[in-house]
Formats: sequence, C-alpha cells, structure tokens
Amino acid sequence: MPRETFQQELDGLLSDLLELGEEVEASLENMVRAMEDRDANVARRELGVDVRYKMRGMDIERECMILQARQAPVARDLRLLYTVQSVTNHLVRSGTLCEHICHAIVDTEGRERDEDLEIALVEMARTARNVFNEGLDVFRNRDIERARDLQAKDDKVDLLYSEAMNLIANPSEGGGGAPEWRMRAALTVHYLERISDHGVDVGGSAVFLVTGQRIEDAMQQYLDRNVEHDGDGT
Amino acid sequence: MVDYRKTEEERRVSEVPERATGAKEETAGSPYRAGEPAALGMRIEGLSAFYGSFKAITDVTMDIRANRVTALIGPSGCGKSTYIRCLNRMHEVIPGARAEGGVLLGEDDIYAKDVDPVRIRRRIGMVFQKPNPFSKSIYENVAWGARINGYKGDMDELVERSLKHAALWEEVKGRLKESGLGLSGGQQQRLCIARTLAVEPEVILMDEPASALDPVSTQKIEDTMEQLKQDYTVVIVTHNMQQAARISDYTGFFYIENMGDPGRLWEFDETEKMFSNPERKETEDYVTGRFG
Repeated sequence: MPRETFQQELDGLLSDLLELGEEVEASLENMVRAMEDRDANVARRELGVDVRYKMRGMDIERECMILQARQAPVARDLRLLYTVQSVTNHLVRSGTLCEHICHAIVDTEGRERDEDLEIALVEMARTARNVFNEGLDVFRNRDIERARDLQAKDDKVDLLYSEAMNLIANPSEGGGGAPEWRMRAALTVHYLERISDHGVDVGGSAVFLVTGQRIEDAMQQYLDRNVEHDGDGT
Repeated sequence: MVDYRKTEEERRVSEVPERATGAKEETAGSPYRAGEPAALGMRIEGLSAFYGSFKAITDVTMDIRANRVTALIGPSGCGKSTYIRCLNRMHEVIPGARAEGGVLLGEDDIYAKDVDPVRIRRRIGMVFQKPNPFSKSIYENVAWGARINGYKGDMDELVERSLKHAALWEEVKGRLKESGLGLSGGQQQRLCIARTLAVEPEVILMDEPASALDPVSTQKIEDTMEQLKQDYTVVIVTHNMQQAARISDYTGFFYIENMGDPGRLWEFDETEKMFSNPERKETEDYVTGRFG
C-alpha cells in the first residue's frame, strides 16, 4: 500500500495515545480504590503522574505536528491527527485532575468526614471512572453507536454532583466533617464531574473521526429520526 | 449528510450512488450550497469523449461556477485532460477524437452545429503543462492573439494590463522587446497566461500549468490564479493535490473503476469538503495517497 511508512507512523501515534489512556485509567482505578478503602498510601502512588502525563502529551502533540508538516495529511488522516491532539488533551487533563484528587486524599488523611457525603463521593468517583473508561473504549473501537450512550451515563454523574454539592452546602446537624475535608470534598466533586466530561468527549471524538461530523450534529440527526418515526406512527 | 445510524462499513456500501456525477445524487454535478450567488460559468451535461471507438470519459455532468477556481484531480489516465480539452473543443483536433453531450458557456451550446470552434477557444482560453511562448518578443507574444482577432483598442495598454494580470509586468516591463524564449520557465508560463488573457476570454482552462516549474514559480502561478478568479472562471487539472487544496474553491475527482472502463466524475464538492471529509471511499483513498 502506498504511504506505508506514513500509515505506520499514524498507527504508532494511535498506539501511544491509547497507552497514555490506559495509564490514566490505571491512575483513576487507584484513585477510586483509595477513596473506597480510605487508603492514602494508594493515593500517594499517584502523586507526580501529572508531570509524566503532560510530558507524554507533549510528545504526542509534537509527533502530530511533525506528521502534519511532513505528510500534509488530508481527509481521514487529517481527522485522525486532529482527533489525536484533542483526545490527548482530554487524557492529560483527566490525569491532572486525578492527581489533584489523590493529593486531597493524602492531605486529608485521618480528618473527620461526613459519612453521607463520603458515600456520594465514592459513588461519583466510580461512575466518573466508568464513563472515562467507556469513553476510551468507544474511541479505541471507534464504536460510534455507543458514543451517544455516554451522555446518558454522564447524566448520572451530574445528578451525583448535585447531590454531593447539596450535602456540602447543607451538612447534617453535628456532621459535615472537618472543614478542610469538606472544602477538599467540594473540589473533588468538581474534578470528578470534569473527568466524566472528558470521558464523554473522548468517546465523542470517535464520531468525528469516523464520520467527520460532530457528535452534537449526529445526536440531532438521531433525535430527528425519532421524530420522523413518531410522525409515521412507528 | 452521513447517516449516523449506520456503521462505517454500511455507509460506505449503501450510500455510494450507482452513478455519481456529484456528491449528492439529487443535485448531480452541483455541490453548491444554497445562499451563494448562482453565477454559472459553464454547464456540462452528460459529456462523453472518445478516441476512435475507445470511450475515454463517460457521462460527466458538472456545473462550473463563475469567478471560482475548479480543480480536477484523479489518477493518471482517468480522463481529466481529455475532459478539460472537451471544454473548449480542443479534444476534437486529434484525429478520430470526438465528444458527445452538452457543454454550455452561459446560454451557448459550444457543440451546436453552427458554432465556430475557433471563436469558442477565444472565449475559453487554455494554458498547457509546458510553457510554449512564440518565438517573438514578450510584447508580441501578448499582442499577437489580440491583433489577429482584430483588436482595435490601445495595444500597449492591453499588453500592460494582461502582463499585470498574469503577475509578470514588474519583471519584464523594461525588456518587452526581448524574446519570450529568454524568460525563465515560470516567467514563460506566466507569459502564456498573459497571452491567453489578452484575447479577453471568459474561462481559462489550465492543464497542469505548474507541473514543470520550480516551487517559487509554482507559488507565483498559484498567486496569479487567486487574482485571476476575480475576473475569470478558472478550471485547472493538477496532479498536485496540495495545490488543488490550496487554490481551488471546488474540486472534482475523476476515477476509473476498472481497467479499460472510461473515466467518470466520481465526486464533486467544495474543496474543503473533498479534503476533509469526502463522501466516497475512493476519493478519500486517493486524496490521502493510498492509491494512484
């Protein structure tokens, strides 16, 4: 096949990206475990990953730029490079947020907690991790049918966000945990919501990669189809 | 619009029209979006071209927008040059060659029985791959065509205007009496463009005008084209896909499905669409360099 070297370079780039994604997945897994088990030592292992992910992200972006300069990509190759850059950003940002949360776990080790809020936080962390993993899997398999389901899963994270924020703003009498823990809990809630959003965007990138359309446009088309079918009585 | 409900493979199979003359079957050969002024430069309807009994291109339908650059791309032997030569009746000068179908320039069918091909070639000029200036002075190269066509105006003004339009004036204004053959390849090609412009055509056809030129000369020709479309309709055949992407507003992809088949207009759309997200797999494979 012509442009075999270029294809190999693109394959290598994609492989690097997915490897980065899997490492962020592993960090998120440790973050959830640290929250579930109240184990600051597990969280401590993730301190410093942010710098590593940023370096990896810069390497991938540099490779994208070199390929654009040398190979003048168009059509699906151009979409791939554009998507790789965008997904890299989402992965690195998720890794950074994960480290922030792990820092909070380490910094508030042994502090008094609000039990209800902690339950909500752990549930939210599990759900955000699942959305991120699912988003990466959708991207890996270019499974655009599953991409639209991600938004529904993210809605659950948004609900948990509201619930957790409500508990932070209105702690039970005599509860609420230590002030620093509660403040860090508020930030953690926000970070988890962002991680979930990054997961949705990673999955949504698969739609653009395959079809050249933004997922928002594709979702509209899907909704329009339902309207048409309803109109037909089907 | 791509059907999101289908998988990539299903889309590739089911949404390829049986006979594609443009990106959208219902507006075959017309990729133009609503809202743009509908100034039509040329309309090509069901054009086929033959060399003797061999059919080189078949059933091409395409609207060419005025004051725009339309690029034609495709693998070697797919009929691009044959097609462009049909647009000003140059194809038929080859013994045994003929064309069928309609080519309208404005309201005029250029293949109508009473039409003089020479008059058509004056209205639809052509620039070839290799610069071919006459063995005359720079001035005469530009003035000659206009003079034999009976131009009665100020010839000096016409020569200057044509050379300026072709972005050559500043480089040759002090040596108009020198031979055109003494110019560099890039300058010769721009001289040929000036010569084409001097007879005041409506459409300029260019058959790989920069393929024999160095990068700097190529860039000058490309810059020239950007200027030319202010006043003319430009159609360019190019093997350089980046050139098509840089300079054209619309791009047509010609393709031969099976060896021995005639070339077809496989996809025709806005250039940015053709180079970012073409509808058809063969177009995508070609523009990404996966074949051809």
